[in-house]
Amino acid sequence: MKYLYAYPEKCSGCRMCSIACSLKHQGQCNPKMGAINVVRDEFEKYEIQFVCLQCDDAECVRVCTKKALKKEGNVVKRDEKKCIRCRMCVIACPYAGVHSFKGKIIKCDTCDGDPLCVKVCSTGALKYEEETIEIIERRKALAKAVLKK
Amino acid sequence: MVLKSKLGIVDLTKEKVLIQEVPQSLRKALFGGRGMNVYYLLKMLGENVDPLSPDNLLIFGTGLMTGTMAPSSGRFSTTAKSPESGFLGDTNCGGFFAPELKYAGFERLIIKGKAKRPSILHVTDNSIEIKDAKDYWGQDTTEAQKRMRKDLGPVEMALCGTAGENLVRYACVRTGIKNAGGRTGLGCVMGSKNLKAVAAYGTQGLEVAYPERMIQKVQELKDYLMSAKITPILGSVGTLLLYEVSNAFGGIRTKNSTLNAWRDDLNAAFAHPYIEKMIACQGCFVHCRHRNTFDGEGPEYTTLVLLGANIGMEKYPEIIKLGNLVNELGLDVSSTGTYLAWAIDLYQQGKLDKKLTDGEELHWGDYDQAERIIRKIAKREGFGAVLAEGNRAAAKLGDPNKDYLIACKGIPQSDPHDVRYMKAFSLGIATSSRGADHLRSRPTLEIFFKLPLEFKEKIFGKGVVLDPTSYEGKALVVTWSERIFATIDCLEMCKFICHGFNSPHYTDYKWMKELIYCVTGWELSEKEVSEAGRRTVDLERMFNMKQGMTMADDTLPRRYFDDPAPLGTAKGHHIDREKFAKMREEFYDLHGWSKEGKVSEARRKELEAIE
Repeated sequence: MKYLYAYPEKCSGCRMCSIACSLKHQGQCNPKMGAINVVRDEFEKYEIQFVCLQCDDAECVRVCTKKALKKEGNVVKRDEKKCIRCRMCVIACPYAGVHSFKGKIIKCDTCDGDPLCVKVCSTGALKYEEETIEIIERRKALAKAVLKK
Repeated sequence: MVLKSKLGIVDLTKEKVLIQEVPQSLRKALFGGRGMNVYYLLKMLGENVDPLSPDNLLIFGTGLMTGTMAPSSGRFSTTAKSPESGFLGDTNCGGFFAPELKYAGFERLIIKGKAKRPSILHVTDNSIEIKDAKDYWGQDTTEAQKRMRKDLGPVEMALCGTAGENLVRYACVRTGIKNAGGRTGLGCVMGSKNLKAVAAYGTQGLEVAYPERMIQKVQELKDYLMSAKITPILGSVGTLLLYEVSNAFGGIRTKNSTLNAWRDDLNAAFAHPYIEKMIACQGCFVHCRHRNTFDGEGPEYTTLVLLGANIGMEKYPEIIKLGNLVNELGLDVSSTGTYLAWAIDLYQQGKLDKKLTDGEELHWGDYDQAERIIRKIAKREGFGAVLAEGNRAAAKLGDPNKDYLIACKGIPQSDPHDVRYMKAFSLGIATSSRGADHLRSRPTLEIFFKLPLEFKEKIFGKGVVLDPTSYEGKALVVTWSERIFATIDCLEMCKFICHGFNSPHYTDYKWMKELIYCVTGWELSEKEVSEAGRRTVDLERMFNMKQGMTMADDTLPRRYFDDPAPLGTAKGHHIDREKFAKMREEFYDLHGWSKEGKVSEARRKELEAIE
């Protein structure tokens, strides 16, 4: 199964991924409306991408009272028609992978398995790839680093 | 929608804000950014205005591409009458401020008057408020921005540092840690208006004419840009890469151009231990900005040379720290480094009295002294107050004719290149509309001596001469570069991805035409696209002439004419006055200007009719 992986250490903070995503899915260039969101602060010195991890046992699916969210294959799909925009998924996601902006719920659908953000990233900070041992190890290292901070 | 963004006119004296629509015909003629800024400046600025008076205008202008998916489009131009030169003040800057202004609904702000007390402009969706700046005034650029974010939320800011507040004539406009509208002293104009900052936050996205096509074309452009050999190098060491290339032939400004080459251990490779990460401005594939290990960003090639070789500094850490310091204080790195070198050189020649320098002997390569003087400049203390006047300090420094100042039109040379060997570069800095400057027209490809003739002819046209020391064919490459750089400045995309600046495989008129079509739906020919650049160059010329500039100002620092370069391949080379004059005449001719470098009456009328 392929998943979208973000490598913050390689992220230059340019937000092209967010702009491309917002143009494709929201019809406007607006980095605040990308399903992938780059949080950056030059003074605190970080650039980090937030995007839906497409969890197997997803909190957002669990808390959705209207069953608007459902895991299908490797994607947690959102049904716009069923959604009542209560934003419970936004609150419940522990990874800030779902967000809301100007009343819209914004969540990654991996562009149906061909994510545009990966294509416009020039640093290799985004990858759509199979889960490998390397990724699992890296995730552990990152978790340790975050906890230390 | 890109074509619906507004113009905000702020009168700080009357505390009034006016929001206006922008005519489509004006946008179509000049695209925005640098071009529309000078258009408004020419139209709205009164006669004989003192640059530091409330009558000066300060214009922040985004471009047609700013905030869209067009790559490297996070830029804006700031324009006013320059307090450093008295001519055009104009400076271009990246970062994230410009897109934020656009997302708030404004493509341009024109600021006039002077606030009664230190103020900021707080720009949010379709709204501009004048607010008190007492908590930010007196703060260095990082601290002031951090405080504003704490108070106002996630704003992006363009601001002046303490140097601007204290009216240092070459204070810069800053956004973020290092991004600067560095040239021509526009941070000083901010200070003169009691304006600490413009802070913007906007939520309104930009709709474009053809979204799917834009998504497709930007991916194609990305592949094209990434395929250029220089892109990964720029992405790993930034502009520092140029140091080695130019030092090798004797093209590095060293010790106020008494020398023309410096240490090999300042080559880009030696900077690696001090680089934490390479970061980018909005929407940029290149990411040329260093986050350094000394709590700052940079150094650029300009910092490396002007606060390095030019003042005799020998070590990377010291140069980086000086760069960080000028960034914090809000000083232009090029002017600061040039004025410092000028003072040290004059002292060494015995023209300066210790009484003027606060009892100090001035030395090359003295880090502590350089740091001390830079701090004094920003505060206008003691000797710093003298240097804060920039070229106006000439008489006090014992060099009344500015014989030893490396500047044109009163603006120190920004380019780290010693231009005695490179004749095209010399023409470029002499004729640039904002004083000795490389970002107006430097045909960088001249450095790559070994590129085949056919290849260069394909870019610049027939008449190119490969030999960089020849005066032939140089007017052609400079004029060509000047026009395409002006065009991309109107779109407000970065010159770093502009065809001919760093690489022959970057964004040319064909790509610009495509991006303009995707964003606006306008079907322009490549020639029509380039016309925006040509109009901009002519408008800037008209503005400068109106401020009293003549062809005599299109000249070089005396040293480049009279003192041959002492080192390397460039040894013995200098600029010949007669040949230079001929080259300049050709340059005027290619512009359709008179022999005195004036824009014709017919052209003036044509440009004044744009509205």
